[in-house]
Amino acid sequence: MAIGDKVELSSWEKLGNFFRGRSVWMMWYCTGCGAIEMPPTMTSRFDMERLGMGPMATPRQADILLVTGYLSVKTLRRVIYSYEQMQDPKYIIAFGACAVNGGIYFDSYSTINKLDDYLPVDMYIAGCMPRPEAIMNAFNDLQEKIRNNEVDGWKRYKKNYDQYKKNQLKAVGEVYVHDEFHE
Amino acid sequence: MMNSMNNLKEQLKAHYKIAAFEEPTKMQLAFNVEPDKTLDVLAYLKSIGYGQLSLLTCIDWIEIEEFQLVYILFNWDNGIHLLVRTSIDRNNPKFRTIEHIYPGVKYYERDVHEFFGVEFEGNEDSYKHLFLELWEADCPLKKDFDPLEFSTNRYGNRKYETNFPRKVGGE
Amino acid sequence: MEVNKLKEVKLFLGPQHPGMHGNYSVHMYVDGDIIKKARPMPGMLHRGFEKLMERKLWMSNMAIIPRICVIEPDINEMVYAMGVEALAGVEVPEKATWIRMMILEMARVATHLFALGGIGGPTGLYTSMYWAVAERDLILDLFEKLTGARVYHIFIVPGGVRKDLPEGFKTQLGTYLESLEKKLPEYQELLLKHPIIHTRSKDNILLPAEVVHELGVTGIGMRSATGKAYDLRKVKPYAFYDQVEFEVPTATYSDALTRIHLKFQEIQQSIRILKQIIEKMPDEGPVKAPIGTGNALKLRVPAGMVYTAVESTRGEYGYFIVSNGKEKPYRIAVRGASYPQGLLGIERYLPGHRIDDAPLWMDTMGVCSPEIDR
Repeated sequence: MAIGDKVELSSWEKLGNFFRGRSVWMMWYCTGCGAIEMPPTMTSRFDMERLGMGPMATPRQADILLVTGYLSVKTLRRVIYSYEQMQDPKYIIAFGACAVNGGIYFDSYSTINKLDDYLPVDMYIAGCMPRPEAIMNAFNDLQEKIRNNEVDGWKRYKKNYDQYKKNQLKAVGEVYVHDEFHE
Repeated sequence: MMNSMNNLKEQLKAHYKIAAFEEPTKMQLAFNVEPDKTLDVLAYLKSIGYGQLSLLTCIDWIEIEEFQLVYILFNWDNGIHLLVRTSIDRNNPKFRTIEHIYPGVKYYERDVHEFFGVEFEGNEDSYKHLFLELWEADCPLKKDFDPLEFSTNRYGNRKYETNFPRKVGGE
Repeated sequence: MEVNKLKEVKLFLGPQHPGMHGNYSVHMYVDGDIIKKARPMPGMLHRGFEKLMERKLWMSNMAIIPRICVIEPDINEMVYAMGVEALAGVEVPEKATWIRMMILEMARVATHLFALGGIGGPTGLYTSMYWAVAERDLILDLFEKLTGARVYHIFIVPGGVRKDLPEGFKTQLGTYLESLEKKLPEYQELLLKHPIIHTRSKDNILLPAEVVHELGVTGIGMRSATGKAYDLRKVKPYAFYDQVEFEVPTATYSDALTRIHLKFQEIQQSIRILKQIIEKMPDEGPVKAPIGTGNALKLRVPAGMVYTAVESTRGEYGYFIVSNGKEKPYRIAVRGASYPQGLLGIERYLPGHRIDDAPLWMDTMGVCSPEIDR
């Protein structure tokens, strides 16, 4: 199914999408510089909670993985871990120029260039760094898309799992988190 | 303040026969030390008040096949920065740790080992990777490492369509 | 420390953890909630800046250096500009120096406010987070008016600053400073006298003077333990810090609460400095000295090496710049101010504390993960 295809949904699915689109929980993971704009977005100045979105501490209860900026391979390993712990339906928002094509880190030896090779991205926010208004706008658009049943990143990830896994292994070597005690 | 700088120069000259000094900017002194005397000089400098090791770093002079280790010391009481430099062979980069003089150097040595491949004898953790995980390629801060080539091979680049219409917005 | 295999659990604190400051991780063995062994795990934000800077022109490096420390980007621009000016032998115009100082002090207030707000997370006093972050946002608005960007300003460039102050900026800054000064007693009431903060931070996370010298901690950690005004602005004044009056708050007993107090007092001193800057800054004058000849992108810096340092909110922040006379830097090494307390400090002195003290350690000592990782 391509994005944007109209499918007949059952009433239960419609109802589910209605509610999902009105309470999105974003996983609290500061993967890169963009995380510095998250506290202003969450606190009293911009207050994203009034628009039906909030931070969530654990991956298991979160809906959105917000990749805030560049991803070093070391973080990518942990992001993949976190993403696979999240429950369906789950969405990814890629944030900033670095997640789109590498941005100013296009020639860095330790950051990836294309996030959508490794994880299914549902929405991009352009800019370095995107302002809080842009973040909230993206969340609003995503909510709208969820309500219209237009996002299917998690289905793509399941369908093309082998392809994603192959790309991940090529970039990060192995998806296994080592500990610092070197035991 | 100038007096303390001149005193220091004289003392270093008398004790360690260091004659060539540079002053890159005010309140800063740079000089070269023989590799086998470096630890003595650092211990001496610590004993006269240069208690803080601000930075340990390395420069890759690839044309003369040398690594230059730079110890930057600071004295909080007179505000003088010292740049103590020593050269080691690039093809067999080995040096001794100064952990017993400045304990804070432990992670800087790991850092230099990771990025340049310099081994510090005596620092038992120095061979472990700190920033890079499962790194198999060459040490990235050496001059002959090309990050763009590495990045393109490993992470790929996004392909963009370039046949845009010439006029934006139409007639 | 002895490790009892049956009782002890290996725990990864962070990077995906709301209490962690930034993308940073501490791996630890815990017995109950007491940390027995700890190892820092940096590198999640490693971008290889030192390599990237060797590949770019002297002036185009301005685009990437603020990103080394996300919380307080302006110090990067300042040390880089100071280094290039020292090598190239450029004199900065008077007004430009005042504007630079103004930016640095505004950034200091903003960063300290952010840190005071950050205390809210690990202690559970969320009000402080909401207040302080919103307060910081007003400074970001001023920055936006001045430079056009909220976070990465790229305003201080080698030779001076990019532009003159916009019209009415001094008045706006003055108004803001007065409103901030009026609010400070409320923060004092909320943060420094609050029982939650006292329970968590008093006599907790001690930093004796011997440890400071052993690790090489600078900044607030050092001043709160030694009782001496070890501040680069006083010890080795750069810009015009020798022409303004201010005090460096110090203490002789360093627990988490003392360090929060010092942060608070530094905000007050920064306000004092900013007011003097507004007064002393000349109205007219150039803000940028010509650097190099012709096209700025073709700038070549004479060969040499120099180390420049400024006082950041976490301590001595420096760049070591090596030039070989070409159009690109030969080597730039960054001295992150949080290196000692963020790496060796965690390994040696975090054991013995409770798990929930680790974020407090990060916050009150000032550990900024992007500047460790670079």
